[in-house]
Amino acid sequence: MDATIEVRGLRKRFGPTVAVDDLSFTAGPGRVTGFVGPNGAGKSTTMRMIMGLDRPDAGTALVGGRPYRSLRTPLCKLGAMLDASAVHPARRARDHLLWLAHANGLPARRVDEVIELAGLGGAARRRAGGFSLGMRQRLGIAAALLGDPPALMFDEPVNGLDPEGIAWMRGLLRSLAAEGRAVLVSSHLMGELEGGADHLVVIGRGRLIADTAVQDLLEAASAGRVELRTARRQEAMTALAHAGATVTATGRDAVTVTGLTTERIITLLTGAGVAFTGIAEHRASLEEAYMELTKDAVEFQAVTGREAP
Amino acid sequence: MSGTGRAVRAEWTKLRTLPSTGWLLLALAGLTVAVGAAVTGSVDTSHCTSPAGCQEDTVRLALSGVRLGQVAAVVLGVLAVGGEYAAGTIAATLAAVPRRGTVLAAKAAVVAGAVAAAGTAGVLASLAAGRGLLTGNGFTAANGYPPLSPLDGPTARAAVGTVLYLVLVALLALGVGTALRDQAAAITAVLALLWIVPVVVQFVGDEAWRDRLVKFAPMPAGLAVQATRNLDRLPIGPWPGLGVLAVYAAAALLAGAVLFAVRDA
Amino acid sequence: MTPAKPAGAATAEPYRSTVQAEARDGFGRLLIAEWTKLRTVPRWTLTLLAAVLITVVVALLTAAGTESSGSGDRPVDSARRQIIDLGHYTYLPLGGDGSVVARVTSQQGGGGWAKAGLMIRGSAERATPYAALMVTPGHGVRLQTGYKGDGAGGGAGSAPRWLKLTRAGATVTGYESADGRGWRRVGSVRLKGLPPSALAGMFVAAPDETKVRRMFGGESVDGQPSVTRATFDHVSASPAPPGAQWRDRASPGGPAADPSMDGRTQAGGTFTLTGSGDVGPNEFADDTTRTTLTGVLIGQAAIVALAVLFVTSEYRRGMLRTTFAATPRRGRVLAAKAVVAGLAAMAAGLAAAFGAVLLAAPLQRSNGLSPPSLADGAVLRAVLGTAALLAVVAVFTVAVAVIVRRSAPAITVVLMVLLLPQIVATGLPLSAARWLERLTPAAGFAIQQTVVRFDRAIGPWTGFGVLCAYAAAAMAAALWLVRKRDT
Repeated sequence: MDATIEVRGLRKRFGPTVAVDDLSFTAGPGRVTGFVGPNGAGKSTTMRMIMGLDRPDAGTALVGGRPYRSLRTPLCKLGAMLDASAVHPARRARDHLLWLAHANGLPARRVDEVIELAGLGGAARRRAGGFSLGMRQRLGIAAALLGDPPALMFDEPVNGLDPEGIAWMRGLLRSLAAEGRAVLVSSHLMGELEGGADHLVVIGRGRLIADTAVQDLLEAASAGRVELRTARRQEAMTALAHAGATVTATGRDAVTVTGLTTERIITLLTGAGVAFTGIAEHRASLEEAYMELTKDAVEFQAVTGREAP
Repeated sequence: MSGTGRAVRAEWTKLRTLPSTGWLLLALAGLTVAVGAAVTGSVDTSHCTSPAGCQEDTVRLALSGVRLGQVAAVVLGVLAVGGEYAAGTIAATLAAVPRRGTVLAAKAAVVAGAVAAAGTAGVLASLAAGRGLLTGNGFTAANGYPPLSPLDGPTARAAVGTVLYLVLVALLALGVGTALRDQAAAITAVLALLWIVPVVVQFVGDEAWRDRLVKFAPMPAGLAVQATRNLDRLPIGPWPGLGVLAVYAAAALLAGAVLFAVRDA
Repeated sequence: MTPAKPAGAATAEPYRSTVQAEARDGFGRLLIAEWTKLRTVPRWTLTLLAAVLITVVVALLTAAGTESSGSGDRPVDSARRQIIDLGHYTYLPLGGDGSVVARVTSQQGGGGWAKAGLMIRGSAERATPYAALMVTPGHGVRLQTGYKGDGAGGGAGSAPRWLKLTRAGATVTGYESADGRGWRRVGSVRLKGLPPSALAGMFVAAPDETKVRRMFGGESVDGQPSVTRATFDHVSASPAPPGAQWRDRASPGGPAADPSMDGRTQAGGTFTLTGSGDVGPNEFADDTTRTTLTGVLIGQAAIVALAVLFVTSEYRRGMLRTTFAATPRRGRVLAAKAVVAGLAAMAAGLAAAFGAVLLAAPLQRSNGLSPPSLADGAVLRAVLGTAALLAVVAVFTVAVAVIVRRSAPAITVVLMVLLLPQIVATGLPLSAARWLERLTPAAGFAIQQTVVRFDRAIGPWTGFGVLCAYAAAAMAAALWLVRKRDT
């Protein structure tokens, strides 16, 4: 129960705009849950409500089964990094962690531990104002880990990091989850979560679009698509279309086929005497799967909009 | 249009499109009139031995609201540069107009223009309000207090001088804001410089030191320009007093300009 | 890139924090956390230091620039300059208990507060304990004692009037009568330090005729002695000391040679006393302590800026989210912030006030002034009160900063309400100025006064209370807002 972040029927409006609309999901222990949606979809607002910073208009957000605002030593329940630049520039990195530790009565020893953990050792005595973005992210991670919490939450943690930093962050998230913690990571770029997340919560305009395991999503998005390479594109398309397949040209010598198995395509093309240089089952990227999902969501919204004017 | 002209226009657009500018200018005029009217309304001839013996400087009373109204001028001056540093737009400004002297000159021009306009409105309205209130409180022509009129020589000098005072205060704030970059520090410094000496002076027993403080502190010296009675008893004359403030403003602007030019943005 | 394997970790043991057992919450921890925040930004500690230095330097400057305006070659004790003990006193020795009776038949000149009546006092020395029963043209029959404005109440009636003053131990009681037969008790006072062998007799006194000219940023006080004359008859003292002669105590340093200003004439049992100058507190005395502590006004600006930044820097950088993430109980966070800011300001205030008074003393002494003594209760109150004042100002500022959330308006508002009333007040007639200095947070500066001056608007503790009330109200509003608002 400790290592979960649970959101039930959460709703929040700012003036006329609905930021979060009846949102429910759970980030469970032992896995990295990606929290995805375009900019302005309501990810940060949801995270702020989880942390008790914004008051929901309806619904509840629970950390380890309890509302965040009722926690006495919250740093030991949920570690969060919302905005890595939220540090006073004149304060030394170590001092920033020190006041935070004092606020929850954590020993100063813990400060030195997380400094090592986040790889900040050399910069601990430097003032945060001189930090690069990557250093600030590490300081934010150190702050999140201060209470060694069973649940962690990161808002756009890889935003602006260099490739090396992204790889480091991905490894860290995975290892935190492997220890049995619940890790909730938001991003507006699905690609950033590739290879990082086990589970996905996708939202758009404050509403839940999908709540699914990454594996299931990819399988669903890849299902039944075959990529074909041939110099005689036109003839291949005609032959396959006659057999009832949907064929899309994706390049000068490439087509994507749906509705036929690989074996059937090979038989058909061989029969028609169309030579091809390559054929493979399509493996969708997360990015594609995401586009597929959000496209549906937009259509869905348009339909409901017409039904209920 | 010359480079400076374009810079002025750009600065004017920047100033005009910030909602805070309108509010500050409104506050400048509004506070000046409101405090002036409150002070004028609370003074009547009954506390003097005789109405003529009151020796009240009615023009000065009517214009006393600038003591509060100047706050808006200070904030406006500080925000002109300090606000850009806080919001991070200073880089864009310097990308558009790389010559920093020109930027500062343009800012000074638009701030001075805006404050002069709002100040004129506030001063004229204060005189009008004072004219009505003073007559009701016994400061009548029969008692030796002719109705306030901006056409009267000393009154005109006090009115024009008060507008100039506001402009100079805004420029002083602009200079300090540019030098310190930090809004909080700049506002504290300018308000402390303006307000603290007039308060401190009450607790200084020594007559010579009191005179010295009044002579060389920006606010008491600058506001000598409002005096229309007993000019011989002032520690410093009206125009020399305003000159003292002008020296402060010039020094602040110069320091700001030098630091602005020398420093990394 | 390959998609992630479904983590086998999903079935792993739920994670438990390893430091949970050590974690504690509580207000004390929060105070340490906020204090850590304050002390780890170097420019904030420097600001505190600057507040102290500025205050002391201003004190030194005013001490160096102020020279004794009084005559005489030795320092005038500041406590003594705050009192007036003039007038004309005609007396007999009074050994132990006894009484003195006289009728004031007429009184001329000296204004509404001219005094003619009886007085029992310790000796003819200056500033000894006394009790005086008097008639005044404008304020009836009054019993007065001490030099700090602590006169007992008054009543109706004017000359001619019978007066009687009796001493029993340390208690002196005054009676008045219209006809010398039916006596009304006016009041009684206990005189601390009244020697067994005291003096009893008649006196006249009149406060100087003063003109106060106030204009923005300054005031000038012109005083002119005013003369009063009163006639007494039916004068008797009991027990009458055998062979004692009436003796006179004229205004020290007064124009004793000029009989129109000061003197006694006697015709049979009728005495005519002429005198000038008052007995009581000196309402126009310079408040040396307050002058010495003037620099606090500048030091205070630094404290205000610090307290504002202590709050607004968190809002500006989004750090407040981190703060509230660590401590979701926002009211406690705000309370801890206010306490830390207040205590820091108080520490700076203590250093500044003691530093100012102690370091300025040698300079004041060499300029012929008597420095304020910390042994004097009022001075000690002003010094400690200055520290308390800065603490409350810091709390008030924290609250305003939470309400406003931005540095520029917060600093402007706080400095405005603290300083502007004191500036505008000088341009107003006393009656209006007093209200301004009573009702605005600037009233808190009253805690620095050690002299009861003519322009006193509010008592030291009452004024301080007004500031505290403002701070409490602002704090309540800030607490309400901080709980209600999203962050």
